[in-house]
Amino acid sequence: MDPSGVFATRYERDQALVRTDRQRVALALFAVFLVCVPWLLGPRLVATASVMLITAVVVVGLQINTGHAGQVNLGQAAFMGVGAYTTGVMATHAGLPFWITIPAGGAAAAVFGFVFGLSAVRIKGFYLALTTIAAQLLFHFLVLNLPSRWLGGSNGLTLEPATFLGHRIADEASIYWLCLAFAAVMVFGAYGITRSRHGRAFVAVRDDDVASGMMGIDVVRTKATAFLIGAFYAGIGGGLWAYYVRFVAVDQFTLLNSIWFIAMIIVGGMGSVTGALIGVFAIKVVQETITSLGPSVVATFPFLSGDIVFATMNVFLGGIIAAFLLFEPRGLMHRWNILKRSYRLWPFPY
Amino acid sequence: MIDFVNYVINGALIGLLYALIAMGFVVIYRASKVFNFAQGELVVFGGFLVWWLVVSVGLPLWIGVPLAFAAAALFGLAIERIFFARLVGESVFAMVMVTIGLLILIRGVVLLVFGPQVRPFPIVFPLQPIIVGDILVPRSLLYGGLITIAVGFGLAWFFNRTRPGLKMTAVAEDHQVAMSLGISVRGSIAFAWVLGAMLSTLGAVIYLSGKSLNFLASDIGLAALPVALLAGLESVAGLLLAGVIVGVIQGLAVAYLDPVVGGAVGSVLPFLIMLGILFIRPTGMFGWKTIERV
Repeated sequence: MDPSGVFATRYERDQALVRTDRQRVALALFAVFLVCVPWLLGPRLVATASVMLITAVVVVGLQINTGHAGQVNLGQAAFMGVGAYTTGVMATHAGLPFWITIPAGGAAAAVFGFVFGLSAVRIKGFYLALTTIAAQLLFHFLVLNLPSRWLGGSNGLTLEPATFLGHRIADEASIYWLCLAFAAVMVFGAYGITRSRHGRAFVAVRDDDVASGMMGIDVVRTKATAFLIGAFYAGIGGGLWAYYVRFVAVDQFTLLNSIWFIAMIIVGGMGSVTGALIGVFAIKVVQETITSLGPSVVATFPFLSGDIVFATMNVFLGGIIAAFLLFEPRGLMHRWNILKRSYRLWPFPY
Repeated sequence: MIDFVNYVINGALIGLLYALIAMGFVVIYRASKVFNFAQGELVVFGGFLVWWLVVSVGLPLWIGVPLAFAAAALFGLAIERIFFARLVGESVFAMVMVTIGLLILIRGVVLLVFGPQVRPFPIVFPLQPIIVGDILVPRSLLYGGLITIAVGFGLAWFFNRTRPGLKMTAVAEDHQVAMSLGISVRGSIAFAWVLGAMLSTLGAVIYLSGKSLNFLASDIGLAALPVALLAGLESVAGLLLAGVIVGVIQGLAVAYLDPVVGGAVGSVLPFLIMLGILFIRPTGMFGWKTIERV
């Protein structure tokens, strides 16, 4: 809800993302902060921030696909992998610049996702989840069994750093800005998609696909479009990832990664782009904490084995998915909205 | 020729093992409308229970294995109490995601409690294979296959012919309708998980007898997926046929296609079959066809 005194008199005003002057200022300050991150934080935190931005692109795509259009997708990591490999192959074999290879990675992933999205025409729910798991396994099989001249097989692909106007994007700060530029465009686009005609069609199909078909929405086309968009985002994220680690291997895109992505939208809140961003931030912070604290904990208590980090990570991931679905299925975003509402209504209860 | 017969027989027996694991999926689906992605982890957990009671504690087999079954039943009941009692009537997405969360959670717990080491599994069935002429059949798979057929027909009779079984069938149809007919949905779900956990332990005993065990054994849960889909998720007896079909195809592919292509076709072929089923006939051979209304 809006603070008192803010009334929308036109449709555009009602749909606006930034609704008050204070929000405008806050957004501007946040944007300045994001641009200044490499000067404010140490190199390790900047690297983490880059990973967060890349993950944010992938997860926002998943949010459109699963959160808005309701198509369960457990293959987002495979779609990301298709994008990463396409970018990698085009950059190493053809020597194309990043502003061609990354969008091309997105397009390739979109085609791959579209093919699996076509199965959503006939099936839904967990059957669809099974198809996307099959996409994941098929991706692994293809990468490992195609001639290793093409995709590098199990050795992976090594990339040269991207160059922009003669500047090599190799240090942490430049990579961060590259990721930030792409993430900003993609997130802005996501807000646009979800408010558009297509976004409303997605929500209608999610809520009841039979009823929305009777209302004149082309259900098949909407579902396929949702997969296309979701996979395109994953492909762009994969392309950024390829330039970030400059090494693409098949074990970076596993089913477990797909489940992490889903966990992020569950934690953040289904059906909200902002929620996806919050979910990415929250989960990445905890992941980083467990990874960095794990070794020192093991050093203090020698009776624990070294695999405790992996085990704890699994318990955390499984536990958080189940806990949020049981106790707060609408995610952190819902909590935030409750907080905002009570703050704006204070001192009145409603 | 004798090789071919060998491949077919062994493929069929492995297929029956897949059918037993897939029976866990179907039983849980048939009584609660939940598709359990954590099936493979239940198998691993059951396997570790048997290992812990028989090898680590040192109980004799005839006490340890039944105790492991009892413990697995309790574990299934605990899963229902903690997770699914609150999810009655919730969306398919929530249920599917909770079982995926459970998959990861159980794996983490197994790693924390039992560790990642490879453990020797007790020898439940004698190791010597049965040899008839030139045909060589592993004893554990043969006995396992016979047990699977018996359990499969028993459960099919239970779900299709008895009163409690038909009540659970109603729960699988629709939680709300079942509740308004006075059927206990929670009781049905609890029964499903107890039965699913016990079937998984049985699967673990047959699959792992005399082999080694660590947390990666859960891959058999994924391998059993195509069998469950080919049969259709509502049919218990159909699993036996579907298991034999998938097992024979996989066995022949490993024997004749892998040397040509260079490996791994045998492991990916069941998933190609699964994709084919999903695209052409998602209800499988014997599944229910549902009509949707608004």
